[in-house]
Amino acid sequence: MSEIDRLRDAIVEGDEDQAAIAANAALEAGIDPATLIKEAINEPMDKVGKAFQDGDIFLPELIIIGDAARVASDVIVPHISLEDLDASAGGKVVIGTIQGDMHDIGKNIVSAYLTAVGFKIKDLGTDVSPKEFVRAAIDEKADVVAISTLLSTTQPLFANIVKTLEDAGQRDNFFIVVGGGPVTPEWAADIGADGYGRDAGDAADLTKQLLSAGQKPPFDQPLVVGALKQ
Amino acid sequence: MNKPDILKTLDRSQNGEYCTVKEWDVKRIPRRVSEKLKKYDLIKTSDPENPVNVDGELADRFFKAGYELALELGMLCETTDRIIKVSEEELETAINAAPSELTVGVGEDATVMKARKPSDPYPSKFGASLGITTSEDVWPALTEGIARQQPVDVLEGGSLKSIHGLDVIPSAPSETLVGFEQAKMHVKIREKAGRPGMGGIGQISAVTEYGQFGGYGLPGALNTTDLSLILFPSELKVNYQTLHKVVHTINVGGMIFAGSPAMIGGMPGPPEGAVLSCIACALLQYPILQADVGGGEIYDIRYLSNVNRDGIWALSVTHQALSRNTNLLTHGIANQVSGPGTKELLYETIVGVSTIAASGAAFGTGPRSAGGKLDDYLTPLECRFCAEVSHAASGLPLEKVNDIAKTILPKYETNIKDPNIGQIVHDVYDLETFQPKPEWQKVYDEVKQEAIGLGIPL
Repeated sequence: MSEIDRLRDAIVEGDEDQAAIAANAALEAGIDPATLIKEAINEPMDKVGKAFQDGDIFLPELIIIGDAARVASDVIVPHISLEDLDASAGGKVVIGTIQGDMHDIGKNIVSAYLTAVGFKIKDLGTDVSPKEFVRAAIDEKADVVAISTLLSTTQPLFANIVKTLEDAGQRDNFFIVVGGGPVTPEWAADIGADGYGRDAGDAADLTKQLLSAGQKPPFDQPLVVGALKQ
Repeated sequence: MNKPDILKTLDRSQNGEYCTVKEWDVKRIPRRVSEKLKKYDLIKTSDPENPVNVDGELADRFFKAGYELALELGMLCETTDRIIKVSEEELETAINAAPSELTVGVGEDATVMKARKPSDPYPSKFGASLGITTSEDVWPALTEGIARQQPVDVLEGGSLKSIHGLDVIPSAPSETLVGFEQAKMHVKIREKAGRPGMGGIGQISAVTEYGQFGGYGLPGALNTTDLSLILFPSELKVNYQTLHKVVHTINVGGMIFAGSPAMIGGMPGPPEGAVLSCIACALLQYPILQADVGGGEIYDIRYLSNVNRDGIWALSVTHQALSRNTNLLTHGIANQVSGPGTKELLYETIVGVSTIAASGAAFGTGPRSAGGKLDDYLTPLECRFCAEVSHAASGLPLEKVNDIAKTILPKYETNIKDPNIGQIVHDVYDLETFQPKPEWQKVYDEVKQEAIGLGIPL
């Protein structure tokens, strides 16, 4: 079995310890780190994402596999040369469910997806106040603030995060992306977000696109990936 | 001074076994569910070709497995990372002590919920709508429009986005305010609609406990003949928000209407796992939350809906399991995704609501027009249709409901992921005359005739 296969298997098995060992072994064997990310992490994670959408695997597996992928990418990414580093690779995302909302499943799925495709995640959990979002974004030197909700009454708090960042002179330091059951592209536009993703796969694509866009936030109109049919 | 029964729950939420949310979510729930599915030979028992279960023995096996799961897992208090476990004696005592009949509202306008069995002719009662966000200028007339629908037994109404122009923000004092103001309007609207004694459900505009503090059990607000709505997170988790609402409702002598969805594709895995989690959750609401009416809700995480084949099957087995094996007042939601003005919304209602009613639920609420995603995408007409179907389908044989589901599902199921969101209330409903606009009325008439043709005695 090749080193790449060994790492891929460890990740798909959700084995964090073996993923770290296999990632180090692959690097010591001289395998190009960018190739490792692509073939041992990104490609199998795409398959895992599809298996989740198809109902062949479920959220616990997705989270465990995502954790193993994060461990492996933590080992590998520092070895990637700057010229090989995708503009989005290693970007940091502060994610949470907004204040008053204790639902965490959607946020957990997005977090697992983003982790799996190489983003560093600071998960603030549920019931996160706008102030906590803003403080974490600044403290963590995040690139993206990802806000989730399942409750339609929370829109004012989303707007509050954008306004607080503006008032603090920090708005152009963070892309703000939004998603969740009641969240729509119009909601994103109303609050001045930079992006909307309908599901976890969309959120990963969206985050990559924003960080690769070569443009600083804020965007005039949110980038929309996966809109509702009107 | 007698100690209240809720004290055990509160004590265990502070001093129970320590367990992190992550451990609970990705290890304990999936492992225990998987063990029970194997032990009771329940793996891959769902049948997409027959979305409504007709096998009573299968439902009973699910009940036994769910009962064991409830005892082995308990619920996690995510605020404290403590497990609230109950003994078998406590579970049995709570189930036996829970009401099997409940009057909601007062006098001639009240409705009586009764514990039912599958295909029981006593109607599964219906409350409308769900808390779809509604603008302040629309809410009073829209809620009155719903209250005017005679088949609707209990009034909930949409969630207010703002109160007197002030945004309602979770945990802010605006939640306490909206709790009280909305409850006062609720009471007045029922009078205006000519149904002053109609039962209500609240509090729905505030997500935290402040809404309950402001609007339930105070003079002029929702009172103890109304239901206090207490939702909590999946899977099998409560938190201090939940427990504050429970304690407040008990303090004022109210009725607890609890609920939390199990997620197909989430922590319990496949539809069979979600059924087990849902049964365990429904049972645990009685000893842990002192519920009077308890939820048996299931959604499919891929669609945030349950009107697909997996969701319908899971709803049918869950409600059959609970109703065949207990005398609890169980509640279900058909989670539509299509919007007002569309045939699909009514088709989804036929399949979802008839499944819940015929499977033995005592109570249903809905609709979730347009998946509850869009402000003011809700009309009284689909609320009426939901209640009509709930009542009319209650006594149907499960085989008949399965046949109906198999006929109707192909008319909408390919669009569940990408539904037709329909039209905003003003485009399809006149809130001054309380009449649907002709196009929406025509759609309703056509689908209703179709349902009658399929054997639903509407």
